[in-house]
Amino acid sequence: MQPAIHIPQNWNYETPGPLYRAYMHPPHDVGGQPDVPVHYEEKEEEQWELNTYVTCEVLGWRGVWNACERRRRADNDLGYTLYLGMPYYGRWIWSAARMLIDKKHISLTEFLEKVAEVKSRYERK
Amino acid sequence: MSENKTTETSRKPDNSPARFKVGDRVRVTDLPNMFYSRTQLYARGVTGTIAACTYQDLIPEHEAFNWDGRIEQFYIVRFRQKDLWEEYPYENDTLQTEFPDRWLDPA
Amino acid sequence: MQKAHEHGGGGHDHKAAPTVEEITDFEILEIAVRELAIEHGLFTAEDHRRFTEWAESVGPAAGSRLVAKAWTDPAFKARLLEDGTNACKEVGVDWAEPTGFGTPSDYMNFRVLEDTPTLHHVIVCTLCSCYPRPLLGMSPEWYRSTNYRRRLVRWPREVLAEFGLILPPEVEIRVEDSNQKCRFMVLPARPSGTENWTVEELAAIVTRDCMIGVALPRPGRTADIHPVHKARRPVQSSSQHERAAG
Repeated sequence: MQPAIHIPQNWNYETPGPLYRAYMHPPHDVGGQPDVPVHYEEKEEEQWELNTYVTCEVLGWRGVWNACERRRRADNDLGYTLYLGMPYYGRWIWSAARMLIDKKHISLTEFLEKVAEVKSRYERK
Repeated sequence: MSENKTTETSRKPDNSPARFKVGDRVRVTDLPNMFYSRTQLYARGVTGTIAACTYQDLIPEHEAFNWDGRIEQFYIVRFRQKDLWEEYPYENDTLQTEFPDRWLDPA
Repeated sequence: MQKAHEHGGGGHDHKAAPTVEEITDFEILEIAVRELAIEHGLFTAEDHRRFTEWAESVGPAAGSRLVAKAWTDPAFKARLLEDGTNACKEVGVDWAEPTGFGTPSDYMNFRVLEDTPTLHHVIVCTLCSCYPRPLLGMSPEWYRSTNYRRRLVRWPREVLAEFGLILPPEVEIRVEDSNQKCRFMVLPARPSGTENWTVEELAAIVTRDCMIGVALPRPGRTADIHPVHKARRPVQSSSQHERAAG
């Protein structure tokens, strides 16, 4: 459904020029977009966030990826919704996982089984 | 199977000379903007002045995809804020940011 | 959040209510990625520990020392402006650490932005959150926020006013958008009222916010005050972490 015009349709058949450009715009390029005053706050770092930062850097150190690639994956490939919605280091660890699978270091099923195993480890506690 | 990584220490300096020097007027290119770029939308098509030559390296659009492309000169370009933003009210304010050679044209 | 227990009849089996100890999805993800990477030989636990040690060792004190030295030693200041990366070694910061070729995210292209009475710099990375970690440690959360990155480049005076910094229009405000591999720090103008101060006294008023450019150093101002969001499971020191990781 296209709610605004009440015509049943599966998906858009056309994208007008300016809308196309907006869709293609790399999500991380936010300089100059309007936003509201907020309380700029500090955040105490979680242990998992420090671990994530170190894991991502060490993967770079050992040549598995480079930081430019990390930024591309974490700041663009996620898409705008997850880019705005996920925690900062959530994007980092998501990108590291995705990269390991993309580069065939691990298979997706191996990864999912590991996640399930880690989860059950903590549930047993 | 791991990807080849071009480390900082293994990059060789490029043979092609830097096209610009400090003080040159340059305009930021506006290539189609898909998948990834570190050339900000707000700077595209705007004219500024070379403030510094920084280093030579792969451009981010290549490095982000592990593409061993040409190594280029990077520059810090200074803009008047009034040239970047139509409504900007203060005459003296400026903004600086950095671009590789290919993202700049002589102005 | 604890739910009240309800005791029904015999044979009633119920799950314990979630407590603050419950592990989060991102914590699980982090463990999974790290263990798989180590299992597959992509890096070692020792690599992780060494880099963690470096990450925990960096903080803004080095930047404060750098500024205080530049204020009191004109020859050093000239060296700093000429070659920022190498000058940092004189305050004990080697941008090549801990890998020997720099960190993957911070590189080795450090530049200092010198304020004058008519020029004030302020730094942002609109595209991500690039920050001079070897000199200032980890970036504050607000620096990473989409909000700061959107607004500072276009409304710098408004954003600075929200930080409590208002400058007259005659002063040029220069925003540095660090979007590539250079890493920047503001060298603030030395404030009046600090004549004959020692290097330690000077360093004490050069806080992290002054080196990002959202505050000016002045006598008596020795801390950046912001609200702090507490962590559920904050970082433990390296040695404790090592024991926990096994």
